[in-house]
This record gives sequence, structure tokens and C-alpha cells, in this order.
Amino acid sequence: MSLSRFLIKRSLQGLFVIWGVITVVFGLRFISPGDPANVLLPPDVDPEVRAQVIAELGLNEPLYVQYWQFISGIPFGDLGLSLVTRTPVAARVVARLPATMELAIAATIVAVVIAIPLGVLSATRRHQPADYGATVFSLVGISTPNFWLGVMLILVLAVQLNLFPTSQRPIGLDGIAMLLAGGDVGAAVDGFVTWLWHITLPAITLGTYFTALITRLTRSGMLDQLGQTYVRASRAKGLPETLVRYKHALRNTLIPVITVIGLQLGTLIGGAVITEAVFAWPGLGTLIINSINARDWPVLQGSLIIVAVGFVLVNILVDALYAYVNPQVAYD
Amino acid sequence: MISERTRRNLRRELRRSLLAKLGIVVVILMVAMAIFAPFISPYSPSQQNLDNARQPPLGFSTAETREVTQMENGSVVIEDGQVVTETQTVYTNATFAHPLGTDGNGRDILSRIIYGARTSILVGLFGTSLAALIGVLVGLSAGFYRGRVDDVLMRSADIMLAFPSLVLAIALVGVWGQAQAPIPDPFVATGIAPAFRSAVGLPTGMPETVVLPGTVIVVVALVNWVWFARVARGEALSIREEEYVKAAKALGASDGRTVLRHVLPNAITPILVLATIQVAAIILLESALSFLGFSGADVSWGFDIALGRQYQSTAWWISTMPGLAIVVTVIGLNLVGDWLRDALDPGIEGEGGV
Amino acid sequence: MADTILSVRDLSTRFFTEEGQVNAVENVSFDVEDGEIFGIVGESGSGKSVTALSVIDLIESPGRVTQGEIWYRNADLAEEFRGSKPEAVDGDLVDIRRLPKGVRRSLRGPSFSMVFQDPMSSFNPSITVGEQIAEAVEVQRRARSNPRSTRSRTQGYGLGSLLVDSLLPSKSYVDDESMDRAVELLDQVGIPDPEDRADEYPHQFSGGMLQRAMIAQALAGEPDILIADEPTTALDVTIQAQILNLLRDLQEQEGMSILMITHDLGVIARMCDRVGVMYAGEVVERGPLADIFENPVHPYTQGLLGSIPDVDDPSGRLEPISGNVPSLLDSEMPDACYFADRCPKAMTDCLTRIPEYELDGRHSVRCVLAEQEYDPADAVDSADATDAADQEVSADD
Repeated sequence: MSLSRFLIKRSLQGLFVIWGVITVVFGLRFISPGDPANVLLPPDVDPEVRAQVIAELGLNEPLYVQYWQFISGIPFGDLGLSLVTRTPVAARVVARLPATMELAIAATIVAVVIAIPLGVLSATRRHQPADYGATVFSLVGISTPNFWLGVMLILVLAVQLNLFPTSQRPIGLDGIAMLLAGGDVGAAVDGFVTWLWHITLPAITLGTYFTALITRLTRSGMLDQLGQTYVRASRAKGLPETLVRYKHALRNTLIPVITVIGLQLGTLIGGAVITEAVFAWPGLGTLIINSINARDWPVLQGSLIIVAVGFVLVNILVDALYAYVNPQVAYD
Repeated sequence: MISERTRRNLRRELRRSLLAKLGIVVVILMVAMAIFAPFISPYSPSQQNLDNARQPPLGFSTAETREVTQMENGSVVIEDGQVVTETQTVYTNATFAHPLGTDGNGRDILSRIIYGARTSILVGLFGTSLAALIGVLVGLSAGFYRGRVDDVLMRSADIMLAFPSLVLAIALVGVWGQAQAPIPDPFVATGIAPAFRSAVGLPTGMPETVVLPGTVIVVVALVNWVWFARVARGEALSIREEEYVKAAKALGASDGRTVLRHVLPNAITPILVLATIQVAAIILLESALSFLGFSGADVSWGFDIALGRQYQSTAWWISTMPGLAIVVTVIGLNLVGDWLRDALDPGIEGEGGV
Repeated sequence: MADTILSVRDLSTRFFTEEGQVNAVENVSFDVEDGEIFGIVGESGSGKSVTALSVIDLIESPGRVTQGEIWYRNADLAEEFRGSKPEAVDGDLVDIRRLPKGVRRSLRGPSFSMVFQDPMSSFNPSITVGEQIAEAVEVQRRARSNPRSTRSRTQGYGLGSLLVDSLLPSKSYVDDESMDRAVELLDQVGIPDPEDRADEYPHQFSGGMLQRAMIAQALAGEPDILIADEPTTALDVTIQAQILNLLRDLQEQEGMSILMITHDLGVIARMCDRVGVMYAGEVVERGPLADIFENPVHPYTQGLLGSIPDVDDPSGRLEPISGNVPSLLDSEMPDACYFADRCPKAMTDCLTRIPEYELDGRHSVRCVLAEQEYDPADAVDSADATDAADQEVSADD
């Protein structure tokens, strides 16, 4: 199977999953026993308002009509109206996306940049102090709840030492791009410094688990690869140790690591939600939490759909990368 | 179900690895702490003492400046028609009565950690069991029947995986509400614990019920069963090709019997390893839900971390202590998981061994 | 008599494991002459592969070569180190164990190379076969143009570019010339359509074809000595013969020597000029092929030969060697001939360590029978031997 056919097949599967996700989200209204309106409305609401809302949401229509109404708008970006602000859900969700993506990407960069060298170091210096240090770090890292780590970072670095702000995102990369487009380079640089200053603690909070996880995977993968016969064969044919380690072993180590990173994206987004809650970071996570607290179900549904679609898209991307790096996949 | 060889591997790996021993000790201690909470907890986790709020843990003291009303001969000093106040530095010292300090309402943090272990371990065990039950059923059927059944079940699993588990858990708990089932604490109901406490001179009045966070257990199982399904399916796919399974089918054994007698026992090892790690993951998930205030639990490590945040500039220990409890428990479980994996699956060698 | 290209003396390799010290190779001595095929035969666990890896300096932790000398004939190296390391030089011979690490490494390829048992796991699965062979060519080309740099750790390959390369499948470090040479090599080992096959990945090759490719890779550095570690064990019987013929042809074309490691006496009989028999880490008997096959002295060699079927006499019963391969744990090794407890001719003299006896200058054996006749009156009635006889194991296992 060629790479392009592999990708087409993967995209069709992705489309199916997205349809499934939308259907599950639609079904969220019905998981509570009894009248779906009970889920949507507080029990003590005025009956008139209740009737109005039910009519407005089409809850008295037959199920298939409701499903069609729900699903038909989505391809055109219509995720319905917020119950609270009466504004389109799609616009609110999209407005929150940059903050969450910045956080997720910053955390991933932190994780990859630290974890892969650390894992390699740990594997190539097995049973030496560096290895023990990396092993302890990764054990503690995967066992620490990130929200607590965030609280501790705020406690020590923000409150006690006053090195970093405790919360907020005064400017985002989108804002900085606007400044640059407007030609105000000085303000853009200032903005970037501010952004960096504010995102440091959230990025560490979100990235630590992944740093620990990838360190662990890289270490064990590298140890596994270094024990393979082909490594011995590479040495036997005269390759220098750098080539053996970093061209041969590391590359085969990274192939499964990429898969795991793809699988862990859900954890990354879940982690972003709670990190945002700790740092009052105005992303999708805070939107989701606020919408639950406000019982603003359309916003919750829209956010869930966007998160899941993003997850599916990034996974297709990861699969493409995987197939590109690992030639065997395309033929299986 | 557990062969002599498996047990030998477990013992050998345990002898070799200091970390595995540490993990087992930690897990046993945590479970014992949860079970025997009514005996060992110094106070009731909900007993407030506002006069004694924010007392630091042993080894620390705090200095706080406040305005204090000036007193003379037992009466308030009034000058120019106003109560005279003076600025005093109030030192609060740690006491052995509250070794880990007290929280914002003067509740004993150690007692809250001991009782919090019950919530974490209940959710961890029941949540994992339920997730394993669903996941193993789905995975074994998918792997055993393959074809159409496999497609439908595993595509549903893909859909579940597209939702980040924490996000889905928040949404489900948010929509469902928080059903909790109070179960009478057997030690308190039978009078053993109160009798023991008065005998050794500990304050009585411990909670009479254990709160079983029903919704949270169901939700964590619903968002985590997929991992079990994937593992069980993979095992079933390979085991169904084994000769003894083919032989059992050829002899006319029913599908259910074949799966239960032959496939499940041979798939149990990886499922057990996964379950250990899942208990850790689910404890983390529960603490996150509690931290966000969605679990409805009022004695939970995550919830206490959130409570402590408002005192982060004056009483750091309120958020710190329950977090340490989570970290220690999860490290213990991960170490046990590493031990099981290293001992039961020689294919993945080299990790975590010191 | 041809000159000696490799002369191994008293080589011992030990593994320091958690269970204890394992004496995998003990006081092994043998010579390999120019243009000959020297065979080492033994059961699995007898130390033959570890001997091969010790020669090519690829013993990994927790193992270590603990003693012995590996003399290798190389006039250039002898000249280079005559002044600075006189103890490592003897005429044209150098003791490679005494040479610096970088120099030892640079010998892999142009002096020694190795063919492994399982070709599937001996190639990197994610890099094309042609590129992996070209790599070996490239390393040697660079070595020739700049001999000094090959002894450095990175050998002129920067870490930064390697990190990029490890993420992107590119061929930047292998130039076209090396790639052309790789195709030539593939052609030389009899792979049809070598240009196309060079761009394929290992999993697209059959076992036999991949073993040919591995031989091509081993030839890339034009080695003096090719070490073949069970080169046919993983292959189908029909393919085995092809690979053996190929090795023989190449050995004649290139004039190299081959150190053939195998458990298969058939391979030894077909290929080798001289042979060493290993048991429990020791060479128990060595000499010209005809001497060993027709006039074996050591009861183990006799047993080994008795355990293969004789085509001329199919009715004759095979004689398995009774007992089990001994443990190589230092703490469990007896202070006696290691074979004594399985030996049908064990005598009281066998309860001490046995030296190597020279029989006629070319044939030597580590057994008291070299000097005395078997005397049943002096036989050891070892309880171990009867015990172990219950679980008979054929030597070919």
C-alpha cells in the first residue's frame, strides 16, 4: 500500500470517528434518565421558560429530527447558541483555541527537548549517577498530579520568590502576530517576553508528566535497541559509536515513542484543561469548566466536539509522520 | 491461574529490586491506612476548631502580624471614644497534636489525609475493577470473534479514545450530577473503633459512614475501559490461534466456555499489570475531579489541595500535604506496576530496575 | 605452511552477572592461517560465539575479556607501535588487546568483520539494505583518506547532523560512490537486480537473500578475517548449501581467512581446513580436519562424531552423549576436567585440571588419553555421571 493510500484510509477512519464523537456528544443529553430537559435546565425553573427552551431546542421534535438539526449544521461550523450568552458557540470555542494550543505546544516542546536527550543519556550511561537521576525524575514525574505541581510552582516561584506571575495570559501569540503585522516590532518583542514570562509555569506544569513519560520510553526503547543484533552488526562492520547510537538505535527508538505521543495527546488535552484551571489560563479548559458550572450545555457540547476533532486530526498527522519515518507501516 | 513459574519470577524480581520492595510497602501502608482509618486517625476529619486554624506542621512555625485590641485589667482600653488596638506579631508553633498542621478551618490535616486515602483507594479499586470488567468483556469478544464484532467494538473504542479522559469525565459528572452512597463504616457501626479509641484515649466521634462516590466510580470506569479492551483484544487475538484453543473448540466446547477456561486465564497477566497502573491513573483522575470540585467528595486529597489554595501565601502546608500523599501513593503503585511488568513480561526488560 | 594471520593465546572471557561469575571462555588458544577456513565447533553454550566476539572486541557489559593475547599480523600497525608499545609487537604481529581502544575499533571492517546467525535481526529494519552496506563502505573510504580520524570517537560524524538525520530518512552521510560500491557488492554475492534490491528494506528480503546481503556488508571493508557465526543455522537446508558455497567462493576470490563458528559438524566437514572443538569454554581438541574426524582423541569429540547419523550405516544406533551441558558459573565449576562427569572414560587422573597435550605439532588435545591408555581399573564411578545419564541430551541440540 502506498503512503497516499494509507493516508486516505486513515482519513476515512478519522471521519468515521468524528461522526461517532458527534453522535456521542448528541447522546449526552439523554444519558440522564427521564426528560432530557431535566439535564438541560435546573429543576426549579419557571415552567413557562422551560416550555420555551424546550421548543427552542426542538426537544419536542422526534429524535431523528433533533439529531439531524444537531448534526447538519456542524460541517458549516454551526455548533448552536450558548444558553447563557446567546452567542454562537463556534465563535466562543474558536476564540479560546489559541490559548490552549499555545499551552499544549509549549509543553510538548519542553517535554521533547528535555526528555529525549535525558532518556538517551540515561540509557547510554546505565547504572551511573545520571541514569539514577533520570530514573528517579521520571518516576516522580509520572506520579505527580499536574494540578498539584502547578499549585506548588505558584506557591514557591510566584508567591514566595515572586519570580513568575501566578496566573493570566495578558497577551497571546496571536496578539503578538498582530503587533508584528502592524509593524510595531518593539511592542511585539515586549509582548513576547510577557507571553514567555506568563506561559513558563503553565508549560512546566503541563509538560512535566510528558517529560517524565518520554524520558522513560526513550530510555527503555534505547536500551532495547542497543541490545539488538543489528547494533552489534553495525559495530562489527566498523561504524563509529555515534553513528551506531544516534543514527541506528535512536531512530528506531523514536518510532514507537512517536506512537505513544500520539496516543497520549488525549492526556495532554485533559492536562491542559486542569492546568488552565490552576493558572486561570483563558483556554478551552476554563471554557469547559465554566460551561458545566453554568449548565451551558451547547458550549460544553461544542467544546467536546472541537477537542475530539482536534485529537483525531493530530493523530492522523502523527500516523503520517510515523508512516514516513517507519517504512514498514505503509506496506503492512 | 498463577503458575509456579510466574510466582518464581515475581519472587526473583522482588529480591533483585529495592524499588519493588519500596512500592509494595507503600501500597500496603496506604491500604492499611484507608481500612483502619477509624482506629488510627487522631481526630475526625471534619472536626473543626477555628481557634486553632492554620497551625503549621512539625518543624515549622509562622509569624503573623495582626491588630489586637489593647486590654488593661481585663477590660478594653478606650481612648477618644475608640477602641485602642496595637500591632502584635503572633507566633504560631507546631504541636504534636497536629503533626501535619491544621487547615483553614482548624481541621487536622493528618486525619484528613488518612480519611482521604479511603476515597482514593475506593475509587481506584472499584473504578479499575469496573473498567477492567467492561474492557475485558469487550476486548475478549472483539479478539475472539474478530470480523464484524471486532470492527464495531474497536471502532467504538476509537471513538471513546478521541475524548480526553479528564474532559469526558468532567462532562459526564457535570451532566450526571454527583450521586454518592453513604455506607455504614463497619468499625464504627459495630462499636469496635469507638471502644478502641476511648480505651487508648483518642477523641471519639468518628464519621459513621464511608462515602462511596458512585458517579465518580462509574465515570472513571467509562473513560478508562478502552485500555483494558485494547490489551484483552490483543491477547485474545493471539491466544485464539493457539493449538489448545483450537482443540477445545474442535471438541465442541461452547464459545463462552472456551473464552473463560482458556483465553481469559492466559490473558490475565498483562491485564493484571495494566490494572495496577490503572489504579494509579484513576486515583490521579479522581483527585483531579475533586480538585475541580466536580466529584462532590468533601474528604478527598484533590479537594483539600483546592481548599488550601486560598491560603497559599500564609499556610503553604494545606495544599502541600495532600499532594504529597497522592504522589507517594501513585509512586508506590507505579513501582508495583513496574515490578509486575518486569517479572511477568521478560519482553520488556531494563526499565525501572535499580 | 602458510603464515599465521591470527593467533589467539590463553584467551579468557568472563561475564559478571547477578548470579555470579560466568567463565564463558577459558584459556582458549588457536591459530588461523592465511587463506584458510578455521572452524570452531561446539554445543550451544560452549563459548564459541563469545570467542568470536572476543576476537572482534564486541564483548559488552557485564562481560569482559579478562586475559590472553590476540596476535594479528599487520606490518603497518607493528611498525607504528614498535616504538611506543614494544610489548604489543612481535615481528609483524601485534597483540590487539594491548592496542588503544580507537585503534581496536578501526580494525573492525578492514581487518575483521562478522556475519551473524539471524540476518533478519542483524539489519536495521528501518534503513534500506543498500544504505546499510554503503555505510560500511563509506566508513572504510573515509578511514583510508584520513586514517587518524577513524580512531576518534565520532570519526568525523557530527552529532548535530546525526540528530537531524535520525529524524529524517536521508542519505546525506552516504555518498553516491559508496552506494555504487554497495550495489557491486550485492552483485558479487549473487543477488539478482542489485540496483533495485539496494533500495529495499530488510523485511522485503528472503532469509537467504538477506544473508547474502549481510555477507556483502561484511566484505565492504575487504577484511583479512571474516568471522561467520552460525551463518546458515537460521536458513532452510537448500539455502544453507548455497550460502556455504558462496562463502567458499568468496574466500578463494578474496584470499581472506574465515573463522567459522558452528554447532554443525556437517558444515565443518564441508568447509574447514582445520578445526577446534569447544566444550564448557575450553578448546578440548584442535587440529587438521582429517585428524579430528578420523582420529579423534578426546572422548567428547568422539561422542560428538558418534551423535551424527552415518549415511553408509543407517542401521547403526546414534550414540548420544549422556548428561547435560555443564554450568559455566565459576562457583559451580569443578576443579577437574569439565567433561569428567559425562565422560565414559573418566579416570582418577581426570579429577585434576588437564593441560593441553601436543600430539604431533598440529593436533593437540586437552585430555589425559593423549598420554595414557584408558584403564578401566582406574575408572571413576561418578554418581553425577549415572545421575545425569537419565536425561540424555544429544550433542547436536
